[in-house]
Amino acid sequence: MEIYKADVVIVGGGGAGLRAAIAVAESDPSLKIALVSKVYPMRSHTVAAEGGAAGVKREDDSFDYHFHDTVGGGDWLCEQDVVEYFVQQAPVELTRLEHWGCPWSRTADGHVNVRPFGGMKIQRTWFAADKSGFHILHTLFQTSIKYPSIKRFDEYFCVDLLEEDGRCQGVVAIEMGTGEFTMIEGKSVILATGGAGRVFRESTLGGIVTGDGMALAFRHGVALRDMEFVQYHPTCMPITGLLFTEACRGEGGYLVNKDGYRYLQDYGLGPLSDKPKNKYMELGPRDRLSQAFWYEQQKGRTIEHPVMGSVVHLDLRHLGEAYLHERLPLIYEMAETFMGIDPAKEPIPVRPGVHYTMGGVCVDGKCETSLPGLYAIGECASVGIHGANRLGSNSLTELLVFGKVAGDEAAKRAKSVAPGNSASLLKQAEAAEQRVMALRTKSGGTERIADIRKDMVKSMEDGCGIYRVEETMQATCDKLGQLRERFKNVKLDDNSSVWNTEWLNAIELDYQLDVAQAMAHSAVNRKESRGAHQRLDGPDGAYTKRDDVNFLKHSDAFYVPGAAPRITYGDVKITKSPPAARVYGAEGEKADQERKASNV
Amino acid sequence: MDGWWKKNPFYVEYMVHEATALFVAAYAIVLLVGLVRLGQGLEAWTGWLEAMKSPLSIVFHLALLVAIAYHALTWFKLFPLTMPPIVVNGKRVEPNVVVSTGWTAAIIASLALLGIVWRIAA
Amino acid sequence: MSEQKVIEIEVLRYLPESDQAPRSEVYKVPFTDDMSVLQGAQYIKDHFDGSLTFRWSCRMAICGSCGMMINGIPKLSCETFIRDYYPNRITIEALANFPIEKDLVVDLSGFIEKLEAIQPYIIPKEPRTVEQGEYIQTPAQFAEYIQFTSCINCTLCYAACPQVGLNPEFIGPAAIALAHRYNMDSRDGGQAQRMELLASEDGVYNCSAVGYCSEVCPKHVDPGNAVNINKINAAKDYFLRFLSPKGGAK
Repeated sequence: MEIYKADVVIVGGGGAGLRAAIAVAESDPSLKIALVSKVYPMRSHTVAAEGGAAGVKREDDSFDYHFHDTVGGGDWLCEQDVVEYFVQQAPVELTRLEHWGCPWSRTADGHVNVRPFGGMKIQRTWFAADKSGFHILHTLFQTSIKYPSIKRFDEYFCVDLLEEDGRCQGVVAIEMGTGEFTMIEGKSVILATGGAGRVFRESTLGGIVTGDGMALAFRHGVALRDMEFVQYHPTCMPITGLLFTEACRGEGGYLVNKDGYRYLQDYGLGPLSDKPKNKYMELGPRDRLSQAFWYEQQKGRTIEHPVMGSVVHLDLRHLGEAYLHERLPLIYEMAETFMGIDPAKEPIPVRPGVHYTMGGVCVDGKCETSLPGLYAIGECASVGIHGANRLGSNSLTELLVFGKVAGDEAAKRAKSVAPGNSASLLKQAEAAEQRVMALRTKSGGTERIADIRKDMVKSMEDGCGIYRVEETMQATCDKLGQLRERFKNVKLDDNSSVWNTEWLNAIELDYQLDVAQAMAHSAVNRKESRGAHQRLDGPDGAYTKRDDVNFLKHSDAFYVPGAAPRITYGDVKITKSPPAARVYGAEGEKADQERKASNV
Repeated sequence: MDGWWKKNPFYVEYMVHEATALFVAAYAIVLLVGLVRLGQGLEAWTGWLEAMKSPLSIVFHLALLVAIAYHALTWFKLFPLTMPPIVVNGKRVEPNVVVSTGWTAAIIASLALLGIVWRIAA
Repeated sequence: MSEQKVIEIEVLRYLPESDQAPRSEVYKVPFTDDMSVLQGAQYIKDHFDGSLTFRWSCRMAICGSCGMMINGIPKLSCETFIRDYYPNRITIEALANFPIEKDLVVDLSGFIEKLEAIQPYIIPKEPRTVEQGEYIQTPAQFAEYIQFTSCINCTLCYAACPQVGLNPEFIGPAAIALAHRYNMDSRDGGQAQRMELLASEDGVYNCSAVGYCSEVCPKHVDPGNAVNINKINAAKDYFLRFLSPKGGAK
């Protein structure tokens, strides 16, 4: 087995991982950094983020506003001290990215421009047309090349963490091009592997978004927090799930039903106004918009398409072709290429699709997990800023802010702890190799991974959709248990070592099943409705409401080998925003004023 | 890489474009020979003029005309690729505008030349 | 639902552990009109042969993973649709001008080294602290470079470039476009540093202006333009060397 001794190991080369790598390199150039990624970093799914990154920018905005938008948007399940740090660091990190070359869109006088986004009181979303994630990722990747201490392990697939003396001390990875195993030692390990949305059927996500880091930490006893909260983005392409950014609505797009009616006014987001108004109508939060779609569908007011199924229309026509080309060029191209629709002339059929996992590896405000030496950042982590529903454009900023925090913390740690015992780490790594190799070399199986995967995503969609009830959630939990059994009987066509993606897909599926179980069991146990977790059941519909008495709590899912995860609950850190009714539109404005009045 | 250019019509066009440059060179040589003949005196010059009028020469010149016209057309097509962007009134001139301007200029120049020669001949 | 149509997809297979040389295999794939060629390949992998190997991720033409030769033309398979070929056969092969590792997966390490070599990051003209806020960039300054930021590193342009085929050391269209992107950025002052490589033996003069790189670019970066502008810049730089004691390219 190849051995590489690093000081800091980072798993995942997306926005968070790259930002962390740069932070380590800048804090101490003598530290050796191993950046392990299963794809070339610029393929990471940060690339597909469209709308932008939130950070206070305008004179009429404040950290306080951003804080309250985020905490209210998360239905009070946020760690408020962490949110406070986050909103203050946001503009710092976004400015730093500007210095590194990110081509943020500008105002006519040459300053960085900001656009409105859902659930945000003041426009504060920094954007690079509608390719913000793409530009952030490429800027970070290209900037990372400047630092010789960052050694990249591109197209290396991480299969296990090394744990010794109660601390995390490295990882084991497969070099995808050869199938060889490599042990990468490190005094700190940062997980930055992204979300897990591919456990669902219709999602905006790339094929690589399989929850690898979540499962790795989970299996090492670290809790997965708030996994029941899965974000449905309200405007996705039917069938493929490809994303039409929230910026479509930020720039003034409408959502209409089959009667051409802007139905959001019926769901506490009105009243209508001529101009787009922040936190009203189409600029409401994602959970509410996706839920409104579900109700429209129940009422038979969606458009029924023979192939696409139920859809509503995203109408951008009134924005004009030139403006669309300037602000939403990718959306324009996608509508034309994938749907044959000219968005300047026709409305775009859309429906909700899975987009983001609010929950993740439980970490504190310094991004450290309960396993010393192991950190987690970005979508794979739950640092506590998204709560029960993430506001659009907070997550790109999260990558930068907490990438920096984790990088600094990991560097500090790497300088203070002694190296581990290589011989015993190697023994562990070899055990991991044998385990993973067994999957490739075993014979006699009958199950195709595609079949298990298909059943998993279908079952997750059935049980953990926009609205949930005990019966189907339990059915999903049971189904996932069966799939776990079926997975033992998996059969691969490919048992070669070079570029064996079928084998890697099987390992991913294994990760996905763990993460899916954490999601489904966390969901069935949360007997209330909050943010993205909405229930239709309970005695007298008791679970249809938020229950702060019993469930103003984080859920923590713990791995139990060979069985369903154990779910426990932990406290939520509340500093200055006590839970209140979560309202938008005119009601929201009224509540805002009342809050202000009581603060004076 | 042998025969790579046959694999794609785009490459074929490129190769024909490059090959037609030889026709431009051939015509330059013909003119150069004419110049040399002129310097050698009246008899040599008349002989060259006569040779130019032969059917073979006319066929050859027609072939040159076609090849050079193709070269010119495709040469202008490469303009947007090879030139720095032209900005007029803060807006970038579209590639097809650049190409068609080149073509138009070439056609006008050719016609003007033809007109002048016609007048002189008349 | 419409009647199930079936397309023949011919794949150039190469399994390095068992094949002496690449070989063709034909699969009959049922498809619907919304299906991309990538989905066709996924169908083969899921249902017929799990060993079929290709890179993919985002499905929306932004991650740059899924480039392949489709009927001889370099394309992103996620935004190329089966319906546009039916009822004819589709042939898919690994991207041209790269060594094949397995099936449709090519060795990109050379390309990545080229990207790294051109110093693709801001070398500040005037360093600035975060407290000083962002750099000011006028719309005109922005327009100078923004087009060249759109490259997704899909390497279709390398597959399209016969000069890359003839000289694999040529740093090639995408890397040169990226160098040009930073050179043209008003925040950057690194043009002189990048010129050394651009004007080198493996630099811009390898280009013979075929222009197919720009033709196949899925993001309209026009890398061929960046290459050719830098021929002019490199020539200027060369002559300025004689005039300026410190050398050209400010």
